Amino acid sequence: MSRSTARSASIPIPRAQPSSSRNIESVITLPVSSPRSRGPQPIPILQHRTTDDQRTTPNNGPRSVRTSNISVATSTSPIRPVARSLTQSSPSLTMRSSPRSTTTGFEPRVIRGDAARSVTIDPACLSTSPASPLPRTRRPSSIPATPRASSSHRSPSATQPPPQTVSFARPAYLDESAMRHLLQTEAPPQILPPGRKPSQTSRRSPTPSDDSDAEGSPPPKRRTADTAPEILHLPTRWSESYRHDFLSISQDGRDITYQGSSCTGDRDAAAARTTRPIPPACGIYYYEVDILSKGNKGHISIGFAGKDVKLSRLPGWEPNSWGYHGDDGCSFAAEKAGTPFGPTYGTGDTIGCGIDFSTNTAFFTKNGSFIGSVFRDVGKNVELYPSIGLRHSGESIRVNFGQDRFHFDIEFYVQQQRARAWANIMATPVSTSLLSSAGPSSVKTPATDDQTRGAINKLVLSYLSHHGYTKTAHAFQKQTQEPERDHDVDMDGEGLGMDGDMERRTRIVNCVVEGDIDTALADTRRYYPAVLTANEGLMLFKLRCRKFIELLLETTELKKQRDMEMLAARKADAMDDDEMGMDVDEDAIPLEGPGDVGSGADGEVARSSKDRLEAALSQAIHYGQSMLNDYQSDARPEVQSLFKRTVGVVAFHDPIAHGGITAEVARPEARTELANELNQAILRSQGRPVRPALETIFRHTAAVVYELGMIGVGAAAFADVQKEFIDATPHSAD
Amino acid sequence: MAAPSPSRPQKISIRNEEWDRRLHEVPISKNDLNRLIMDYLVVQGYKSAAEEFCHEANLSAPVDFDSIESRMNIRDALHRGDVEDAIARVNDLNPEILDTNPALYFHLQQQRLIEYIREGRISEALQFAQDELAPRGEESPEFLTELERTMALLAFDALPSAPPGIAELLSPAQRMKTAGEVNAAILESLGQPKDVKLVGVLKLLEWGEKELSDRAEYPHLHL
Repeated sequence: MSRSTARSASIPIPRAQPSSSRNIESVITLPVSSPRSRGPQPIPILQHRTTDDQRTTPNNGPRSVRTSNISVATSTSPIRPVARSLTQSSPSLTMRSSPRSTTTGFEPRVIRGDAARSVTIDPACLSTSPASPLPRTRRPSSIPATPRASSSHRSPSATQPPPQTVSFARPAYLDESAMRHLLQTEAPPQILPPGRKPSQTSRRSPTPSDDSDAEGSPPPKRRTADTAPEILHLPTRWSESYRHDFLSISQDGRDITYQGSSCTGDRDAAAARTTRPIPPACGIYYYEVDILSKGNKGHISIGFAGKDVKLSRLPGWEPNSWGYHGDDGCSFAAEKAGTPFGPTYGTGDTIGCGIDFSTNTAFFTKNGSFIGSVFRDVGKNVELYPSIGLRHSGESIRVNFGQDRFHFDIEFYVQQQRARAWANIMATPVSTSLLSSAGPSSVKTPATDDQTRGAINKLVLSYLSHHGYTKTAHAFQKQTQEPERDHDVDMDGEGLGMDGDMERRTRIVNCVVEGDIDTALADTRRYYPAVLTANEGLMLFKLRCRKFIELLLETTELKKQRDMEMLAARKADAMDDDEMGMDVDEDAIPLEGPGDVGSGADGEVARSSKDRLEAALSQAIHYGQSMLNDYQSDARPEVQSLFKRTVGVVAFHDPIAHGGITAEVARPEARTELANELNQAILRSQGRPVRPALETIFRHTAAVVYELGMIGVGAAAFADVQKEFIDATPHSAD
Repeated sequence: MAAPSPSRPQKISIRNEEWDRRLHEVPISKNDLNRLIMDYLVVQGYKSAAEEFCHEANLSAPVDFDSIESRMNIRDALHRGDVEDAIARVNDLNPEILDTNPALYFHLQQQRLIEYIREGRISEALQFAQDELAPRGEESPEFLTELERTMALLAFDALPSAPPGIAELLSPAQRMKTAGEVNAAILESLGQPKDVKLVGVLKLLEWGEKELSDRAEYPHLHL
């Protein structure tokens, strides 16, 4: 299981450094891109301080100058000049270092790092204390919006979006999901224009909203039954809106650091979740968390939470939240005491956290090793978000949603689980009522093998008959009837149809495939006249269009043939001349017009093919004119557009080689499509289904499974119809 | 109908047109379906149909058709009740099949015992059970149970009175079950898929219909 290399002990150490160093690191790596970064230097400090006020008065951001905080900031920042120049270039950095209180008043803080925070007065305290009448659990509704909005107002570099998470490829383990093509990571939400947010963010309250997160792009509409399938977004970052005030989130959305300070007491739990919920269509979803620092106690909880679980509680304490705690190794599912589960974890460890939607259980890993599965009914009736809880300052984590390689061999694990889930589905007994015309019945009687085989035989036979595989159908019928006469494989009527009918239909269809439209038309007129008159002769029109194209293609062929003959004649001439002529001729041939006929015997060859070409051309044109006569008054858009496309083929020397829509109309595949259409039209005229029952069953099954995946039945993600039934069947087609 | 429980979201409903559109969008081609048909013909051993289908559907042969033939001969022998012949043929094909499948070998011997009993060759049946089956019954509890069940046939002389669980051993279905097992083992030994894909489709349909009808109103399968 632990194929992934063991985590080297040396790796975590740099990570485990106090966050101050990390802060600087991240500051430095930020693109210093603003050309005006050296611009209004003293101003930002004043402005930034004002954002404390702006929190309560969103969006107006008056540049009132306040001083109290400034003094704090300046006094505690020893290296201010440096800090300023660096931070100036990226206003959003503030959100990282102290997201709650200010937007950009961070410069000193970046430098101060944890030291300032824990030792002296943390500016965070200043802002929290006035807010103390509010319950601690207050959701930071408009906070993220406001600072961002104001920052974009204020900062010179705000016009360019601040650096965002680098979008990353969908983690490979998700390829096991049948719905993988819908699962997408995305660049994290762009900063929205100011004024747009409040409506969304303030809506956080108890509205039983769908699933949209206040942050980011327009709410991912929960797909109603009638809208087209949409992209399923994967979690990519921690949410700035749904995090406790005490937590600060790095700019790339992956790090969480506890910023609550001594002035507010250190026992406060604080949780965060991702912007996006986990689509159950993943089948299994997995993420890993590096413990950058466990602080003193390692009160860290890693797990999942529903959309609106209290942010002042660790995941696992509240209903609809589940967590694995680092200090005692216990698992928590809406419980306060916890249940012994795994080892404790701390600085330098990597904890993996997964949810299997096919069983609604969670599982955890530590440093690449599987710990175990735990919990039941996880996320059964609630949207699930990756969630983290911290309790003490100094605690800090970094998440990996697939941006980096996982420590645990999650791909292998998912493959196994997928196989298990699929085996479970394949253990479903087929019931006798499944294919009965009465429709699905609540009473399920398992069908015997015989009954199942009988049902399939019937499907196969009608399929063969539908597509006119006459000989196969007869051979199959013979073989199935012989040894097992007691099976009620319904071989009459419904199966093969009236005797000779299948053969006739097949012959007609094959004529179209071969391009012999005349015969197809004549036979259809003779045996199935209703087909040609149905829909005001639409089928007839289509067949005639094809006939016209066949005539044109014939001229193309004749043209090619003539050109070849002439080329050969030229070559022969050149051979007859002296050897020196070779070079000359090679140049000369293309220059001469094709109509430039040579002399003597060569000319005769060319002439006969030329005659044929002209005859074919005139026939085609004649046919086209007669069609024009017949259909120019037909106002049906379908008729007119097909006619236009058909006539358009005339314009091309070699329509198929030309490509594009012309080739689409002309190419041989179009014959097959037309043949199929004609087949269906004949069947329809006989009151028979246009699709073989087998095909209907397959499509219905695929649609059912797809819908299950979309509405959150995890096992459906592991029922990969394409992979199991199509790709796994040997490709024997030529 | 009971009111929906609060924890269970209300059923969604999917209209006919929407459903038709989705059916239409399922990516499946005629060639895909042809291959599913071919898979069925090959696994089930409809050799001549498979050959014809190759030509008519323009598919290349997925397997050597002769292998179908020998599989079918074995199946036919079992359907006839000629277990010895079947065992000989399997060993002709590949002796490892029975060597490496003790359960399969036991089931074949069990079938042989059943055939003895069916034909009323009681003393032979007893002899065979003691010589061949009893030692194997010690190998596994499953074998022992099966052996006991089979021997119980002797106790019920008048067949109609036999309990269904025992009488079914004499049904054609039991022969087919054994034949199916042998067929699967041969296919496996040839490295060919042994499960019929079309049966898988039906199973998936059964599962999916149940799951989805709990959660949604949508058009039923209409054949």
